[in-house]
Amino acid sequence: MSDNQKYYAGVDIGSASIKAVLINAQRIVASAINASGGSYRDTAQSVLDTVLAHANMKAKELSGIVVTGLGAENAPFAARQVSDISCQAMGCHYLFPAARTIIDIGGQFTKVARISPTGTVSDFLMSEKCATGSGRFLQVIARILHIKLEEIGPLSLQSRTPVEFSTNCAVFAESETVSRIAEGARPADILAGVHRAMAAKVAMLVKRIKMEPDVILTGGGGEDAGLVLSISEALGIRVLVPEQPRLSAAFGAACLAQS
Amino acid sequence: MPFAGIDIGSTMTKVVIVDRDETVLSAIIGPTGVEHRHLALKVMQEAIAQSNLTIGQIDFIVATGYGRINVPFADKQVTEITCHARGIRALFPAARIIIDIGGQDSKGIKLDSEGKVANFIMNDKCAAGTGRFLEVIAETLGVPLADMGKISLTAKEYVKISNTCTVFAEHEVTSRLAEGAKIPEIIAGLHQSIAGRVVNMVRHLGIEKEVVVTGGGAKNIGLVKAIEDKVGSPVLVPPEPFLTGALGAALLGRSFIDRGLTPDHERRLESVTFFQ
Repeated sequence: MSDNQKYYAGVDIGSASIKAVLINAQRIVASAINASGGSYRDTAQSVLDTVLAHANMKAKELSGIVVTGLGAENAPFAARQVSDISCQAMGCHYLFPAARTIIDIGGQFTKVARISPTGTVSDFLMSEKCATGSGRFLQVIARILHIKLEEIGPLSLQSRTPVEFSTNCAVFAESETVSRIAEGARPADILAGVHRAMAAKVAMLVKRIKMEPDVILTGGGGEDAGLVLSISEALGIRVLVPEQPRLSAAFGAACLAQS
Repeated sequence: MPFAGIDIGSTMTKVVIVDRDETVLSAIIGPTGVEHRHLALKVMQEAIAQSNLTIGQIDFIVATGYGRINVPFADKQVTEITCHARGIRALFPAARIIIDIGGQDSKGIKLDSEGKVANFIMNDKCAAGTGRFLEVIAETLGVPLADMGKISLTAKEYVKISNTCTVFAEHEVTSRLAEGAKIPEIIAGLHQSIAGRVVNMVRHLGIEKEVVVTGGGAKNIGLVKAIEDKVGSPVLVPPEPFLTGALGAALLGRSFIDRGLTPDHERRLESVTFFQ
């Protein structure tokens, strides 16, 4: 079989969603995303089955498969495990060859990494100590405002006077949000304020690993246009976002399966 | 000659009225609340009524706490650090370290041998190590905040909570519950976590006896015991930990009068407005 006929799969088992990508010659043939739910095993299997069905393939026809993410150990199929940051680095490297800094904003944690011109990780930091830099902060505030996660970005872009929170703590900001709503603050301004607080925290992390362009923003955070803008402002550089920011680690896993 | 102190905290508003000889004429604790800003005024009015006085008969009114800035019926504003120090000094003359665990911050205050503030340190940037942490987790556990201390004392060991951040700890607690951990042991673990954080902060001041724990956190016997564990010696707790700031504020009013300060006679019994 020539390389052109070989197919590789990457599966990213995250805390919020499970993603699978099928590639052929470094191009995405099929992809799928599903909420992780109660059983990582079942969801991972069904997500992989979905992308295989797209290509009319069976699992045994795959030339290689790599699994990554927090729940990688729960993979119901035999696969090589690679850390999510290495997969993210490789995915970003193939999508943006000039990528040198990666910011991954997931549902639970934010990770920043510096990567080499060949897509390997040279430095790495994670914000596991504080929710402010993570997607959890947005989820908490969106719940108070009764706003769906996908509505946050467009709505926040309408803000002219973002709310300034007195601390960057997500817990204190939650009660402050309630006070501000009582005072008549608009949801757009509250969300824009949350974006700024998050961006400040993310920028601190990025500075610690010494930012180098290009900067890529991946994970669910990359789907929030308001957050992308705030982070670009905080860093003083336009950050680049993959077309499907939640898939880049699974894509990188598939690329690693090939190499 | 009566003196009043009002301490407007993030969750509770407290008023203490004392006589010249430090006899407490009235002491009232009421919620501050998000949409209940006018409650500061109500608490004040209630305290005045309880002591059978009118506002005009009070010689000096000192406001403290985070809501102290714009109190229309106060003669002077004083920081809560100074007020807590003054209140604690009246209750425990040997106090050298004060640990104040409030609803939205925690503080360490060091007193010199004369009871004056020598140094202080505070955390109001992060909910970990403050009353808010306990409040959030109490809600997650479905346990009334006031019962947390008592319940934790039945634990034989504690579940270690590895997350500092309240948001992540909440998640961790849910997972531990799902794994079958016992509620008293989880609560005991939370107390260890808060105590560790607060005592580490206060260590920067150099811990010296006597150590006094005050603020809402001092009402939690489990938390107080966890602090004793970390400090390595017994600590003192005021009979009503909520009131030490307001008591200190009232006593400072007496000092102001003694130093010739005249009260503002244009006190207005109006609602408090907050600046943030």
